[in-house]
Amino acid sequence: MTDSLFSCLIKDSPQCPIVVNGVEHQVPAQLSVAAALLYLGNLAIRKHPVSGEARAPFCHMGVCFECLVSIDGQHKRRACLHQVAPHMCIDTAMVGVNL
Amino acid sequence: MNKVYDYLVIGAGPAGMAAAIEASNSGLCVLVLDQAASAGGQIYRNLGQIGGQQAKVLGPDYLSGKPLLAQFMAANCDYQSMAQLWHIEAHEQGFMVVALVRGKSITYVTSHLLLANGAMERPMAIAGWHKPGVMTAGAGQILLKTSALLPKQVVLAGSGPLLLLLAQQYRAAGVTITAFLDTTPKANYWYALPWLVAGLTTPKQLFKGLWLTLVQRIKTPYITGISHIKVLGEECVAGVSYTVAGKVYEIACNLIMLHQGLIPETQMAQLLGCAQVWSETQQCWQAQVGVAGQTSVPGLQIAGDAGTIGGAYVAQSEGRLAGMTRASSGVAALSLQKRLTILRLSLRVKQLHWARGLVDRLYRPADWLHAPTSETIVCRCEQVTAGAITAIASTGCAGVNQLKGFTRAGMGACQGRQCGLNLAYLVAHTQQRAMSEVEPLTIRPPLSPINLGQLSRRPEL
Repeated sequence: MTDSLFSCLIKDSPQCPIVVNGVEHQVPAQLSVAAALLYLGNLAIRKHPVSGEARAPFCHMGVCFECLVSIDGQHKRRACLHQVAPHMCIDTAMVGVNL
Repeated sequence: MNKVYDYLVIGAGPAGMAAAIEASNSGLCVLVLDQAASAGGQIYRNLGQIGGQQAKVLGPDYLSGKPLLAQFMAANCDYQSMAQLWHIEAHEQGFMVVALVRGKSITYVTSHLLLANGAMERPMAIAGWHKPGVMTAGAGQILLKTSALLPKQVVLAGSGPLLLLLAQQYRAAGVTITAFLDTTPKANYWYALPWLVAGLTTPKQLFKGLWLTLVQRIKTPYITGISHIKVLGEECVAGVSYTVAGKVYEIACNLIMLHQGLIPETQMAQLLGCAQVWSETQQCWQAQVGVAGQTSVPGLQIAGDAGTIGGAYVAQSEGRLAGMTRASSGVAALSLQKRLTILRLSLRVKQLHWARGLVDRLYRPADWLHAPTSETIVCRCEQVTAGAITAIASTGCAGVNQLKGFTRAGMGACQGRQCGLNLAYLVAHTQQRAMSEVEPLTIRPPLSPINLGQLSRRPEL
């Protein structure tokens, strides 16, 4: 995790607790899962299954499949198509799981 | 026996919403399936929930979709959001459409089908575009619309109206635009000049476009005549290099957003066997679509950007036309008023497509984008480089489908959406063939990945 390249335009958004790779965070409730990961500074969220190179969300509209994560135990979810929900467990595949 | 719909509309953007409104007002039993959480399509994404600062930043064109959205929400039709369509085929009663809804596979049957599934961004395959820190301009706009998320600073690179609009919105929100790298080839201005006549038939749009361009040129660090953009950095983006008039420049940045215009999403139409043609003007494959949305497949219509790129207003008009035509099929005596409305709308759509010729020619992608450097990853999913593709293409392989077998390019999760067009450009370029002679990738189900558990569960009707 690095410093986030993104910030939220709405300063008083209601917050939503989510768990990313086992760590709890508060994020604005209107974020998509992909947006939440960017907001928290998780830019590279995936290792490419062929090359092992880092990859990140690219199109944010369900076309590119670069943002695959595990959501509440369901593998290979497109993070851009899901909105965060209270206590949602998101696991990125920087280690281990082949997504 | 499950319910058979009179009209199933795929996509709840301007075209799909307008068609559903028309058809359901005429008493047809209509279902709209949409991938997103709320109606609006990419253009009016999240419009129903938006307000305050976000609305101000997004601007009046975005907010102009509100009446259409309100009409759609009030229409007497079924609407299923978050539906991920994975299969579609001809059926004895018309068409069968299979979608994943909340993790369950559901089959819908309809006598008539409208594809209003819109467009995607033309994949801009430049060296390093797979690195974290590179996104599309469309992605930037979606983050703003749905999540109110803004980059702190960004480099915008490419060409086309959406990139200019994003720059405008980002500036309004106080984002630092480090550089605006305009790849529009200078020759395009001459090429497009005669089409100014067409553009002048829609003076309001033309003026708005000129103003938008002018403002960005003044208010952002705007550099024209850019070619050979390369993304720099080890794991993530650390900078970008580009060429202007033969000289190479470099700037440091962590985030770059690319854009090179839009192309129709043709997968569904292709799967249904709808005839595709190469459009030299729009530089993409398109289904052959009549003015009322009719295609080469009986009972199948296409409207909006899923057919020909025309923008939100054209899409809405085409959707209306498609819905009205569907509702009046089988009705022998159409009222004179209805006939006149159909005629008026058809003429308007034709005129607007003609006027769009200016935009198509002005923002036609530069040739260097079609011949990426050999280390450039063209197929992101399978990590296949331009060099590997060119090597196979130069041995004389028959086309992109054979190329796929040799290299795995186009075989990944995105199913060729991000590489299909560029594979064809590479084959055409290497083999000195015209794009119209190169067949697109063959599309097979599932249209989006489905896991074995979902597939094996008894389908719900």
